[in-house]
Amino acid sequence: MSMRTLRKGRAAGVSLAVAGTLLLGACSSGGGGGGGEEEEGGQESAAPEELTAISFGDEAASTGPAEPVPDAQPGGTVNVFEDVPPDHLDPAQIYVSHEQNIARLIHRGLTAVQLDNDGNYTVVGDLATDSGQASDGGRTWTYTLKEDIRFADGSPITSADIRHTFERQFAPFITQGPTYIQQWLAGTGGSDYRELLPEGPYEGDHLPDSVLETPDERTIVFHFDQPQNDLPYALSIAGYAVVSDEHDTREAYDQEPMTSGPYRIAEHRPGRSMTLARNEHWVPETDPTRHAYPDAFEISFGHTQEDSTARLMADNGENQYGITFSNGLDAGNGPTVMEDPQYRERLVDGYQSYVWSLAINTDTVTDVRVRQAIAHALPLNGVLNAYGGSIGGQYAASHISPLLPGHQPDWDPFGKLAAPQGDIERARELLEEADAVGFELSYVHHTAAEDQQAAVAVADALESAGFEVNRSEVPPETYYDTIGVVDGGYDIYRSSWGHDWLSAGTVIPPLFDGRQIQDGASNYSHLDDEYVNSEIDRIRGIQDAAEAAAAWVELSEHIEQELVPSVPGFAYRQTIMHGSLIGGAVFNDDFGTVDMRRIYVIQDAD
Amino acid sequence: MLRFLLRRSLGAVAILLVISAVTFFLFYAIPRNPALLACGKGVCTEEQLAVVEHNLGIDKAIPVQYWEYMVGIFAGRDFPAGHCPAPCLGFSFRDNRPVLDTILDRLPTTVSLTVGGAVVFLVLGLGFGMLAAARRGTLLDKTVSSTSLVLSSMQIYFLGPLALAVLVYNMGVLPQPSDTAAFTEEPWEWFKGLLLPWLVLATIFTANYSRMSRATLIEQLQEDHVRTARAKGMSRPTVFFRYAWRGSLIPVVTIFGIDLGSLFGGAMITEVTFSLHGLGRLAVDSVTQSNLPMLMGVMLFAALMIVLFNIIIDACYALIDPRVRLA
Repeated sequence: MSMRTLRKGRAAGVSLAVAGTLLLGACSSGGGGGGGEEEEGGQESAAPEELTAISFGDEAASTGPAEPVPDAQPGGTVNVFEDVPPDHLDPAQIYVSHEQNIARLIHRGLTAVQLDNDGNYTVVGDLATDSGQASDGGRTWTYTLKEDIRFADGSPITSADIRHTFERQFAPFITQGPTYIQQWLAGTGGSDYRELLPEGPYEGDHLPDSVLETPDERTIVFHFDQPQNDLPYALSIAGYAVVSDEHDTREAYDQEPMTSGPYRIAEHRPGRSMTLARNEHWVPETDPTRHAYPDAFEISFGHTQEDSTARLMADNGENQYGITFSNGLDAGNGPTVMEDPQYRERLVDGYQSYVWSLAINTDTVTDVRVRQAIAHALPLNGVLNAYGGSIGGQYAASHISPLLPGHQPDWDPFGKLAAPQGDIERARELLEEADAVGFELSYVHHTAAEDQQAAVAVADALESAGFEVNRSEVPPETYYDTIGVVDGGYDIYRSSWGHDWLSAGTVIPPLFDGRQIQDGASNYSHLDDEYVNSEIDRIRGIQDAAEAAAAWVELSEHIEQELVPSVPGFAYRQTIMHGSLIGGAVFNDDFGTVDMRRIYVIQDAD
Repeated sequence: MLRFLLRRSLGAVAILLVISAVTFFLFYAIPRNPALLACGKGVCTEEQLAVVEHNLGIDKAIPVQYWEYMVGIFAGRDFPAGHCPAPCLGFSFRDNRPVLDTILDRLPTTVSLTVGGAVVFLVLGLGFGMLAAARRGTLLDKTVSSTSLVLSSMQIYFLGPLALAVLVYNMGVLPQPSDTAAFTEEPWEWFKGLLLPWLVLATIFTANYSRMSRATLIEQLQEDHVRTARAKGMSRPTVFFRYAWRGSLIPVVTIFGIDLGSLFGGAMITEVTFSLHGLGRLAVDSVTQSNLPMLMGVMLFAALMIVLFNIIIDACYALIDPRVRLA
């Protein structure tokens, strides 16, 4: 990504030439979700089968080993071609997708999302015996650790390690990881959660038992003020993987973590390469999600999309054992790969979690008719073409990605899917109704080529509809800090948001909860609506996952159609290619890329 | 000669000081706060931001930072993330590793690429140049000259991908470029991994050196002292190598020194084209990541290399032509 380090949840649009480095998507080659026929203008769908909810697995479902992948063979080495190296290996500092891809091979958490051979997803216990036992209406969650779970040095993983894992998340030097569970434990949003344990566990302080309890070596109990029914999902992300209490070296842990997954870091040359070798203390019978067929992963960094695509298309020598976790197809070779069967059969593709959208500052654009005019005028085709057309994504009418349970593919309140060029006439009518022809819009976007190109299309359309548009450009590395300033003075801006797990509970609240408006927070539209806020609280309390998913979608539609704080543009797409001697490659909707836990090296090919 | 080298070295130190000051103030005065990049989801409070700034050592006035930076080069520095021993070039903003560690990790690739490429293009370039000059006006001369003219207009970013596509991906006659093997541990793998980059570098540079050495050699062959040597009855090889070739070397050495210095500083396009991890690639990555300490370190190192090679060139001048020592 091109790229560089992109912030999970916010920055997929940063310099992605095609479908770049961060992802979450549906499957066209197995895995979860449906198949995909594509092409022509980004309108064709690689949409997954409609998903009502991810189920939570019991003890039986959480028992290893994982269901064997058909025809899989153990052994061999996989060569992985990546562009951006991981900056962090400490789980607590891991949030961006390309770091999570590696983390899933070396770290384990209390839960994990299992993908079975039929493409079904289940949240199961990973280190824990099941996905969690809720009580008190979802305010209390109890986890029991499995037996025979160990770090790479052979030392057992106990509840003390889990306690330490969460307590150190409050330490000042932890700045990059997810913050969901810390905020839930503290019962507060924003960065105020740090006040619960300002120095982490390093000065001898600990979270009180009323917040986090470890009554014995194998039991962990979380206590929340509010129901947190997404906890099993949240615990599955790499940022909450276990950190060894005994081996915690604070800042230095980021370079040499004590791993717990099926692989350990045998060699790491920062920015250049990483070799993952087997962790002899990993017991498959304790792990229901990881197969760990290859003996090793040789991951090399610094491969541009052009380079990785060329190597994998060539499919010669070591490239036959090659794959990439994050690099999409490059714009030049993309169409060839998509159309030629010899390449196409080695491609898995789907959606990233991210939806491109144009946020509207509701503090400054107060008349909903003006916001509706922006929605009608926005030319989705001009925007998507800037990001690579059909290889870059698919038109979206909702902030809820096609991957999420409850997604409504036909819902299209402004007719954008049917007419992606926009409706300038309707936009002008709305402006005239609002007596706002000539309305001045301050538009900020960043300097990446795709953003600039899209901005020209957006500005042209808005000006045609009767707006006056003043554009400003900000470098990518400070873009989100710029638009995150509440009184920043901008009226419209691009923001790409992706879910952190397969629940719209990680989309709607961060984007539209009015109580989370503050500098640096992600409610870029500054929407503060009483009904929306109360609905967020209500839906969070729903324990049935399918019911909650439907409620999130209903709320999303209300926000997008009636309040129009942000106009979706397209869902980012991801395209992952592999060599001919790699087997078991399927797209994982939860990861937004190939499921690296299932791949194997074909060793008996003629 | 010693005085000559001493004088040049003092000048070099002064140049490096100026470069370091200008680079430092230029980089650190830009209106962006690297600490913001370390704030994850952008939920850093002011206190949190202050901690990050302290950890990065950017919470002081820029002149103080510069002073500490320069002192650190000779005395080492302590950062919250650990001790950075002398010569300390700071800690990377990205991964909290000492900058020098990363530079030293990348240096072997750049040295391998540069030295290997230089050996190939120097031998071939001077060889073809000599042949063309010795056979001036013949078909050989015309072939060498016209081929050089075409090849010297090539660029790495064109020739590199083309060579990869044809020789590696389609025909498979050359191995995939790679810098993962160390010369001391796996010399054959090291050689295979760098062969194509060397050949591409050699293709482009050989053309320049053959054109240049041909021209200067022809010029030298027409000099009075060469004619005198011939008139004295010296053999053709003696006249060629002892009188003409030696005199033709000064412009070649000048250009070679500049090329070598630049390549040591980081052959960015070459490294990016072939996915090699040398200093050039490091510089590019540091720019895109706003990793100022790393960029500063690479810049200083590149400047040091260029200054060092200039001193070596000057010394070579003095060896080739003793009159230079007196200048």
